[in-house]
Amino acid sequence: MFMFTRSSARFTALTLPKPFFIARVPLMAAQFRPITTSTSTSTQNVSPDNAYSILVAQRKQRPISPHLSIYRPQLTWCGSAANRITGSLLSVGAYSFFAAYAVAPAFGWHLDSTTIAAAFSGLPAAAKFGIKFAVALPFSYHSWNGIRHLLWDTGRALDIKDVYRTGYVVLGLTTVSTIYLATL
Amino acid sequence: MASLFRSSLRTATATAIAPRLSRSITATTSAAVKCTGMKNLGISRQAGMAKKGFHISASRKILPAGPQVIQGTVNDAAEIPDPNATHGSYHWSFERLISVALIPLTVAPFAAGSINPVTDAILGATIVIHSHIGFESMVIDYIPHRKYPTLRKGAMWALKGATLLVLVGLYEFETNDVGITEAVKRVWRA
Repeated sequence: MFMFTRSSARFTALTLPKPFFIARVPLMAAQFRPITTSTSTSTQNVSPDNAYSILVAQRKQRPISPHLSIYRPQLTWCGSAANRITGSLLSVGAYSFFAAYAVAPAFGWHLDSTTIAAAFSGLPAAAKFGIKFAVALPFSYHSWNGIRHLLWDTGRALDIKDVYRTGYVVLGLTTVSTIYLATL
Repeated sequence: MASLFRSSLRTATATAIAPRLSRSITATTSAAVKCTGMKNLGISRQAGMAKKGFHISASRKILPAGPQVIQGTVNDAAEIPDPNATHGSYHWSFERLISVALIPLTVAPFAAGSINPVTDAILGATIVIHSHIGFESMVIDYIPHRKYPTLRKGAMWALKGATLLVLVGLYEFETNDVGITEAVKRVWRA
């Protein structure tokens, strides 16, 4: 588990290098270049359609901007990503169940609550706890963090300090309620 | 100081620094920060580092470059979308209303211990609407219309179809079974 650290880079006017000299180097080099270079370059006429396809092909060669892995893991954006991941897990679960329930008669599936409860009670205790934990964790996190989002929507706790404070509160509440629900 | 040379560090700290910069640092310093950007460009051009830019970390392509669609030129003015009453704040307020409603709807049946079929049906419908909005945002975020117009349309219609099927399933469940709250209780205590 990584620690969430707050970045503390400081800028001071004195430590910054002066841009003047470095910016001028290419210009100076250009001035001392011999003037005897040949000017006969061959050009080629392209139709607008061709020009477009060349441009498209060139754009595909452009470097792709670096992905999430370049960022230091911080509570702010990791918590935000977790909100979406937990939410989609819960929603995918709910959609799967209700969609399956809708088509169950056509396939002869038994998805009524009595059957599921009976099947669940037959599982070993560890599996029961594992499944409950796997449901309780995203549910707890998404619920608590959802309340945090609603707090933000009222314009409160938007300071970086408060964002961290509420973030840790959400983590704490999630831990407690997940354990409580999973052991219920 | 290291962050001046490592773009990854600088990007990571940019959000944390930005408010501080605008608040407390004087005009001369922010001018100097701008110049640092120029200096980095100068170095990369000079050293022929165009291939890698000034990234320290290895570049990893997780996806190939998507199709490139170039419309018009850089000199075209940005299009102003047609105003629509259902866009923007009303839509936003509706989303919040759904989210806020979920809190009492989830807590009340368990706290009260009794199951009201109407409350349970409202809870189910609210969960489905909330999920639909969530999936919609993900489609909008990850399948940009500009690059994948067909896939975007297909995904949106597939989502609408899925939501419709889920609503049918919810209706069936609420009509023939014991309701969401009671079902969860039974399975949880099984």
